[in-house]
Amino acid sequence: MGIFVLGYYGFLIIASVILAYVGWRKWFLMVFALTLVSFVLGIVGGAPALRFVAIFAIVLAVAAMVSFAFKEFLVQIVRPNIAKELRTAPLTASFGMFVIFTYAIGGIFAPLIAPYGQAEVIAGAFAPADSDMLLGADQLGRDVFSRIIYGARNTVGLALIATIGAFVLGALAGLLAAVKGGWFDTFMGRVADVIMSIPSLIFALLMLSILGTSSWVIVVVVAIIYSPRVFRLTRAVAGNIVVMDYIEAAKLRGEGDWYLIRREILPNSTAPLIAEFGLEFCFVFLLIAGLSFLGLGLQPPIADWGSMVRENATLISFGDITPLIPAAAIALLTVSVNFVVDWMLHRSSGLKEN
Amino acid sequence: MTKRDEDLIRRIAQGARTGQISRRDFMNYSAAAGLTVAGATSLWTKQAKAAPSAGGTFRWGIHDGNTGDTHDPGTYVTRTMIFLAHTHRSYLTMINGDGSLGPDLADSWEANETASEWTFEINANASFHSGRPVTGNDVVASFNHHRGDDSTSAAKALLSDVVDITADGNTVTFTLSGGNADLPWLMTDYHFAICPANDDGTIDWRSGDGSGPYQIDTGEFGVQFSLTRHDGWHGEGAWFDNVDIIVLNDPNARQTALVTGDVDAVSQVDVKTMALLERDPNIQVFNVPSAGAITLPMHCDTAPFDNVDVRNALKLSINRDEIIEKILYGAGTKGNDFHHSPAQPYWPDDIPQRDYDPDQARSLLKKAGAEGLTVSLSTADSVSAGAVDMAVLYAEHAKEAGINIEVVREPNDGYYSDVWLKKPFSLVSWGARPTPDVMYTLAYKSDAAWNESRWQNERFNEILLQAKAELDDSLRAEMYREMAMLARDDGGTVIPFFNNFVYGARGNVGTPDALASSWESDGGRAASRWWFTE
Amino acid sequence: MGDLAQLVLKRLGYGLLTLLVVSILIFFAVELLPGDVAEAVLGQGATPETVAAMREQLGLDRPAIIRYVEWLGGAVTGDFGISAVSGDPVMQVIGTRFVNTLFLAAYAAVIAVPFAIVLGIIVALLRNSVFDRVANVATLTSISSPEFFLGYILILFLAVKVPLFPAIASLSGDMSFFQLLERTFLPALTLVLVVTAHMMRMTRASIINLLASPYIEMARLKGVPPWKVIVRHALPNAWAPIINVVALNLAYLITGVVLVEVVFVYPGIGQALVDAVSKRDFPVVQAASLIFAGTFILLNLAADIGAILTNPRLRHPK
Repeated sequence: MGIFVLGYYGFLIIASVILAYVGWRKWFLMVFALTLVSFVLGIVGGAPALRFVAIFAIVLAVAAMVSFAFKEFLVQIVRPNIAKELRTAPLTASFGMFVIFTYAIGGIFAPLIAPYGQAEVIAGAFAPADSDMLLGADQLGRDVFSRIIYGARNTVGLALIATIGAFVLGALAGLLAAVKGGWFDTFMGRVADVIMSIPSLIFALLMLSILGTSSWVIVVVVAIIYSPRVFRLTRAVAGNIVVMDYIEAAKLRGEGDWYLIRREILPNSTAPLIAEFGLEFCFVFLLIAGLSFLGLGLQPPIADWGSMVRENATLISFGDITPLIPAAAIALLTVSVNFVVDWMLHRSSGLKEN
Repeated sequence: MTKRDEDLIRRIAQGARTGQISRRDFMNYSAAAGLTVAGATSLWTKQAKAAPSAGGTFRWGIHDGNTGDTHDPGTYVTRTMIFLAHTHRSYLTMINGDGSLGPDLADSWEANETASEWTFEINANASFHSGRPVTGNDVVASFNHHRGDDSTSAAKALLSDVVDITADGNTVTFTLSGGNADLPWLMTDYHFAICPANDDGTIDWRSGDGSGPYQIDTGEFGVQFSLTRHDGWHGEGAWFDNVDIIVLNDPNARQTALVTGDVDAVSQVDVKTMALLERDPNIQVFNVPSAGAITLPMHCDTAPFDNVDVRNALKLSINRDEIIEKILYGAGTKGNDFHHSPAQPYWPDDIPQRDYDPDQARSLLKKAGAEGLTVSLSTADSVSAGAVDMAVLYAEHAKEAGINIEVVREPNDGYYSDVWLKKPFSLVSWGARPTPDVMYTLAYKSDAAWNESRWQNERFNEILLQAKAELDDSLRAEMYREMAMLARDDGGTVIPFFNNFVYGARGNVGTPDALASSWESDGGRAASRWWFTE
Repeated sequence: MGDLAQLVLKRLGYGLLTLLVVSILIFFAVELLPGDVAEAVLGQGATPETVAAMREQLGLDRPAIIRYVEWLGGAVTGDFGISAVSGDPVMQVIGTRFVNTLFLAAYAAVIAVPFAIVLGIIVALLRNSVFDRVANVATLTSISSPEFFLGYILILFLAVKVPLFPAIASLSGDMSFFQLLERTFLPALTLVLVVTAHMMRMTRASIINLLASPYIEMARLKGVPPWKVIVRHALPNAWAPIINVVALNLAYLITGVVLVEVVFVYPGIGQALVDAVSKRDFPVVQAASLIFAGTFILLNLAADIGAILTNPRLRHPK
């Protein structure tokens, strides 16, 4: 038994005892459960399995500490009323905010942060990582780290604009349709049906083949493809609200459509919309990656994460992790965005529990 | 391992295959040649007792198929249909594994003195799957399918100098408007599959009947085909009892199907994973030089490419070695800007290789007054694996020479109808053609429909016609050398490499020593040339 | 319930209208695409003469409007024409493929829908717990990589490293039902992973959204146990958005699975449609698009009816 294993169990047992003594029941249960599981794991998997658990726990702990520090930092620098809200944020949400913040900085200052250009060929194909290239080189010998940073700018920027476009279009149409009802509702419903009933890849294939593949065309086409989904959701949620008594009351007061939308319906339907935003954002990423499957994505040599996954995807079958790096970048952002979304959802639902 | 050792290993492998040496001797020789015991054992099991044996169902994954495929030989375009055609239909002639021309349906052929009239004698044993013997009429009808005003065949251009085709029993005569010494080679083109003739002189291509080694039992285009051996086949080989062709368009699907044994062979292996796949002891990877090429034609009648110095500057600013290393992972032969590959006959081996020289490119541009040149290069993912990457890499190389290449990724869809021949600088993939004459006539002759670089060179056109009718091989070789020099120094096409065909099979599949370089999977004829060793 | 029947009829009428509009859009989009079927079929081998000859044979030299009206006339009587590329009847080209697609979609849906909704209810109940976080991270990660990549990873672990399932899902006619289920397990699993997150998160969100409502407060104050609060009181009012998202994902399972088909070599209709677009084979594109559109309209209708049936207020409009 090596020093590592002894230290591992020693740490867990001492931590359990301390937690039990100070009476943090939940934490004690978790740590002690981990201790028991580790006995089994240690017998089955040996030291490597324990090492894996330890690394995982350390990463988790570091992430938690960074998140906590980041939250405190935000609380210190923002205005008091916002700070009060921020204090209620769970650790996961502040982790999400931290990641989004990091990505935003990376994207905005990409040329300053990235050590090399996104097209610059500096090494042999699939050169391993070294102190110069943090994540090694891709199939052409370009620095993967630099391309990930530029990818943050290109992919996230594009996906964000397209998603916002889809939401503005879809939510506005959905709210108006719910409030106005009648022929307008019917008409918008049919328009949405027509767009949605054409499969998105085929729709994109047709539109982009006709209109060309500049970034703006991609943004607009993607926004059009996703707006009916937002429309239907908004329409369904708002439809439930429109029949509520307080809306009837407001109508009887003689309030206009805009007032109803802004003051009564929108505040009461944000939750599902926010939840949807977090996911649609991710779907837009994937659609753009899917476009590059048909040769319609962003123009080379622009780095985008979806295409970076696709270019070397076959390597995964031999256990090569090159395609996992951009995939992980997408996953981390998706998870982070949805952590923040979860917190906002919880807040907007008005639940006081924690 | 030295060259000598490799030769030795090849010889002893050959000995093992033909049963001339015992396993013990084999192991001793192998150790002498520097092989490890494990390596020698696996070589032994691969090669020994490998004399062809009959039986089994050959499951063959092919990399390019489309739901819109048909049995019409005039519109064959996907690899699936081409390889299927080589399996269930026959051609007049075929390219052998060693690159020579051999008989298929035609037993023998001869020309008159000017090579303007050719007669082919059809094998009397040949029969269609329906049982009917193949006659001259079937051949005439099959070729007329590609000729005439209302023909919709993509091979029409290849037969433009054929004036008349007549049949007398089993003898077929082609009359040409000029001499063409390469006509028997042309007969191997994948469009010229022989189908049964109808009474009105048209052909019946819909039924899928043919005179090839296997007949189709069931099939769904773009998905799969099941075939059984045609017992009345006129040729030699066809060891398998049954052949299943499975369309596997996704590179990962092909790779895993081969690794897990869901198929016995695949027609293409992603070069990116070629080296990783080779480590699997149950898998053989074949890496065969071919006459297929990537070309980058520049329109010679369009500025700035109308200046020969600009064209040559662009040819000098591509780093072919790095492209072969990073795009092909070594699976290719360096190109020299003339479309004549070492895998074709008459290849001139004494032409100096053009290499990456940004300084000379710079001075050529200065001479042409085109410093700071910016050009757009159109490409698409579907042209070939790594086509877009290659253009990006080229753009990086050209920066050194002060040339700014903007890479434009065009949609896969419609690339050959909207980009090729229309955009002044594009990236094109050419399949292997049997002879330099076919290639030059198709795409470099001044009035060719596919003169992709719009290159006009009087001398080139003149010797092209002379060489075509020349029956003296050494004179012909001299002419092809001159044409190569003209294309290289005046032409408008950058040819970075001739790509190898990289394909694979399970370890229990036996293959001949020499694999044909005309298509992947042994010239598309794996089904009739390969066998199971166990 | 008479109102409901009337509504269904009305919506079916609208559905036909939608199909008509879709067919017009698709027709003109295909017309606007660069190149036509003659150029696409001949590909690199096209010359002006052969293209002209083929156009004439296919009747492409006539005005677009006339061709559309002719097609529409046939389609109304159930005749979708013949494929411009192969000359076979369109229904023969795509019929079995559509059945294959439906099978795979049903397979995935039978697993994914109950799984996602139950999981959504559990995480709403255990909101903000470790289980909630882990379930969210897991499902979100699974939809964060392109689905073909997800397929590759599943193949690596469940077909190559541990050979539990076949890597390619090609079908043959003589398979038993269980063989079929085994063959198509990996593509179905990929699809389950792709659609679960969306439905689960919507279930969770709509339930949590209702938890602060006065009537839920009331139930809680009365001492109703938390799971009962959610299943009895919150869920019935949360159905509308959930059903909506379920319908969306079911439609996706049928119309959006081209990449999964390619990765697993599954002969579905998605690949046929992409192939047909690349060949400009208008009759096939049109028929496949209309099948997709029809499926989508029916699913949507079902979702709307479901929403009405589960919301008492909508069921009895004032």
